[in-house]
Amino acid sequence: MSMMGFGPGNIDCDDVLGELFVYLDDETDDATRSRIRQHLEACAPCFRQYGLEQDVRALVARCCGGDVAPASLHTRVRVRLTELTVETTHLEYRAD
Amino acid sequence: MTTQLARESAVIRAIRPLPSGAISSKPEFASAGGGRITVAEETVEQRRARFERDALPYLDQLYAAGMRMTRNPSDAQDLVQETYVKAFAAFHQFTEGTNLKAWLYRILTNTFINNYRKKQRQPLESGNEDVEDWQLARAESHTSRGLRSAEMEALDHLPDSDVKDALQALPEDFRLAVYLADVEGFAYKEIAEIMGTPIGTVMSRLHRGRKQLQVLLGDYARERGLIPAGVGGEA
Repeated sequence: MSMMGFGPGNIDCDDVLGELFVYLDDETDDATRSRIRQHLEACAPCFRQYGLEQDVRALVARCCGGDVAPASLHTRVRVRLTELTVETTHLEYRAD
Repeated sequence: MTTQLARESAVIRAIRPLPSGAISSKPEFASAGGGRITVAEETVEQRRARFERDALPYLDQLYAAGMRMTRNPSDAQDLVQETYVKAFAAFHQFTEGTNLKAWLYRILTNTFINNYRKKQRQPLESGNEDVEDWQLARAESHTSRGLRSAEMEALDHLPDSDVKDALQALPEDFRLAVYLADVEGFAYKEIAEIMGTPIGTVMSRLHRGRKQLQVLLGDYARERGLIPAGVGGEA
């Protein structure tokens, strides 16, 4: 990333905000990461936006995962694996 | 029953290795005299034990992902079972120590795309909960900095079901990318492997999906009266 600017960390607010989601995903290169970090430490509006984005992610993670499969599904899968094991073993013997 | 078993053993014979990459599927062979059992020497029963030990712990997570994909428990259960059948059939090609979770998600995603998506696109089964065009257009053109503090506070008071509905309302590719990143915590590279797309596509889906999600969440909060009129909204 070659963006340069005059804000804290030598990077402009627009570039920080544009790159915020990649930064939050921990997918920026080290140099950009450190410049964005410096910027966020010194720029309150960007830092506030960073916090909001983080909060939305936490909300989605909390509400949208965590469904627990019914016990019957665990059983069904194990039974099917047993059937497949028997079937496959049988086929392998038959092939010999 | 016999027919079904025969069909599934046909699945085993028909399975092909996945392309190599972050989710490697090449069998691993111990060096000569290494003393450990290689995948090639493993009996079916040993393979099943290894599979149950390593792969079954992901069942609940795969089910949760299946729920977001199919949007109903019955299809999600069938999808997860089918995923495990296919994964077991291909398990001898999976390299122990590489990313099993991502490998399972890739099989889940492919199975969903091949078997369920067509069915769900039938007119009777979809349509009413899809996001409106104007909402998409608004999210796309949203030039503001996203949510404001007052809005975020309101979002925390939304029922879980509203947040789920908002995610469900996203177009499928966006929904899946956001789910894999924000709920499952997969890296871009892993999501790219799972969805079979370049990393750039993953990033664009994530970016657009998250923006749309924020707009939808704001709308839900406003509909519930959690955000006073005039706060947030359009500039």
